[in-house]
Amino acid sequence: MGTVHAKAPEVTPTEDDIRFERIPARVERVIVEGVGRTKDDIIIKEVRPILESSTFQEMVQNSHEVKRRMERLGLFKQIGIFIDTCKDSGGQTGYEVTFEVREFRPVSGGINTLIGNNDASLTRGYSCNFSKPVNANPDILLSGGIYQFHGSYPWSGYKETDRGVELDLTFPSFLGSHSLRWDGVWRDLRALSRTTSFAVREQAGHSLKSSLKHVFVRDRRDDTILPSRGSLIRLTQEYAGIGGNVEFSKQELEVQFNKSLFWDTVVQLSLAGGVMRPLHSKDEVRINDRFFLGGPLTLRGFNMKGVGPHSDGNALGAEAYWLCAAHIYTPLPFRPGKGGFGDLFRTHFFINGGNLGNVNFNNLHGSLRDVGSEFRWACGGGVVLRLGRVARMELNYVVPMAVQQGDGVNPGLQFGIGLSFL
Amino acid sequence: MAGDTGSLVVDAFQAELGASEPWPDDVVLYQQYQAEQITFPDYANCLSVKTFLYMCGLDFRVEVRTNAEEMSPSGKVPFIHVGAFLVSELDPIIAFVNSRGFQLTAKLADAERSEMRAYMAMIENILVNAELYLITKPRYGCPYPWPLSSILPLRKQSEIQARLASNSWKDKTLSEVCEEVRTCCQALSERLDQQKYFFGDKPTELDALVFGHLFTLLTTSLPEGHFAEIIQQFSNLTAFCKRIDEQYFKQN
Repeated sequence: MGTVHAKAPEVTPTEDDIRFERIPARVERVIVEGVGRTKDDIIIKEVRPILESSTFQEMVQNSHEVKRRMERLGLFKQIGIFIDTCKDSGGQTGYEVTFEVREFRPVSGGINTLIGNNDASLTRGYSCNFSKPVNANPDILLSGGIYQFHGSYPWSGYKETDRGVELDLTFPSFLGSHSLRWDGVWRDLRALSRTTSFAVREQAGHSLKSSLKHVFVRDRRDDTILPSRGSLIRLTQEYAGIGGNVEFSKQELEVQFNKSLFWDTVVQLSLAGGVMRPLHSKDEVRINDRFFLGGPLTLRGFNMKGVGPHSDGNALGAEAYWLCAAHIYTPLPFRPGKGGFGDLFRTHFFINGGNLGNVNFNNLHGSLRDVGSEFRWACGGGVVLRLGRVARMELNYVVPMAVQQGDGVNPGLQFGIGLSFL
Repeated sequence: MAGDTGSLVVDAFQAELGASEPWPDDVVLYQQYQAEQITFPDYANCLSVKTFLYMCGLDFRVEVRTNAEEMSPSGKVPFIHVGAFLVSELDPIIAFVNSRGFQLTAKLADAERSEMRAYMAMIENILVNAELYLITKPRYGCPYPWPLSSILPLRKQSEIQARLASNSWKDKTLSEVCEEVRTCCQALSERLDQQKYFFGDKPTELDALVFGHLFTLLTTSLPEGHFAEIIQQFSNLTAFCKRIDEQYFKQN
């Protein structure tokens, strides 16, 4: 490193050094260009704070704030701000603020092909949605849409075509965020091949599900994929049976807790569980509504949906499950690529356990004891890679410690990629 | 095409495996609900298969399921579940049963056997199409909730229309269809003559197929069904249906 001998130029107040917060400004007019369908009263309500600016700095800040609020409302896909002196005004301090906006199309749609959660499952489909803030409040969002998609589920040996209508209301409360969703869907389930188990084949056919689902999320983590602190609670309740011929009620809970220790080590404890029951005791919940367990991102050490009741190699799913996991995450040894690429990786050591089984509500105590006692668990370690802000990839070495007869076990190296994990 | 070849291989494999095993006790025949749901060409097919199995002296149990059609590997009813195998529709079932050593046509000469095949093809071409022609609004959707109760029959109907269009039956008038049925019955009546069965005094799969279709047409009341009247003009055919009904169904 060479030494630089230099003398700082003397700071003299010049015309360049303008104290913006002292310059008086009066916004004479606000122009919003490019408005077609958006109602005037919403825009007037949003831009009003600009007119109350008294200095130049305040005016610029308010304009940005208004732009941010309008972006959150989801009314416009592009917003540009221009500030100019007002020609009509007599004084020096008159300004006009122009917003150039481009509105969204009223309906959006998409075609997608998705290879899901680290398995051979393939879904493809298309959808058409709209969404709208309620009372011009960007936190309360009403959205709806129609969709069709085809999926195949090789671990269970079936494929399904879904055609449905959905309506969703998302709103906050002092506890967290809520989503209330109605879903009306026609599901056409077929056996995937001639080798599909007869128990799955018996489930083939058409079903119409009309369900109301409430999802409560309280997410206080600093990151969704590799958090270092904070907790998550997600509570899902679904009631199917408002019309249609699918009738059940389903409860699901997921809790996660993260704590940072020394040297960037993070301890994570997670717990998830769910239970469902048909509305009439003689009915059975269909295979496409049941819970499944196992896989490289949930119950590591087991094959995809490899835990629980099976028939001829096809997972049948069950009506209740629980799953818990404890992880210790550390940065990579010797921290290569620190501050950059290396921060996408973590090493982790984990222990996870869970069980999947059917609950007999006439003998609740006995079946809960079964689901609680005959559980599976595994431990191991590996490397986690964060993919963007939504997904992650894991390569682990796993040792299954307790398995039950009929489980699809995957000891040794296991690779997983997906959106949901525990 | 790949799928077809695959299933042919599976069929051949199944036939080969099947030859070494006897007829198990727990054979099940799956079909839809008779009165409420099933369309009558499907009902006729089920009846033919049941008659054929009774004629072979094979035991089976009938299971009624709303989703029998979707469960079937070929998407058609009926299908039978024998051990690890699923076999659907009459012709594959005949081949499967033959491969297990139960044959109705063992004593027939080759010429007679091909004659029998020709008559069976005639029934497939004329009676089955005539039955499909008459379906106007199947009650097919009744086990499902709205809106599936209206969507599914429409879908079924357009499938049937497409099939009729493909073999140019769609544009026929009702009287032309009736004429076809009359010709078919005429040919069958002449072949049967005063014999007990079509080929002497032992039943064949042709007897099962004819009984399935004629009996269904005779006993189902159709809105514009003149078919029953046509069949009743051939007294040996009605007597034949009555005889088989008494012999295989009254006692079972």
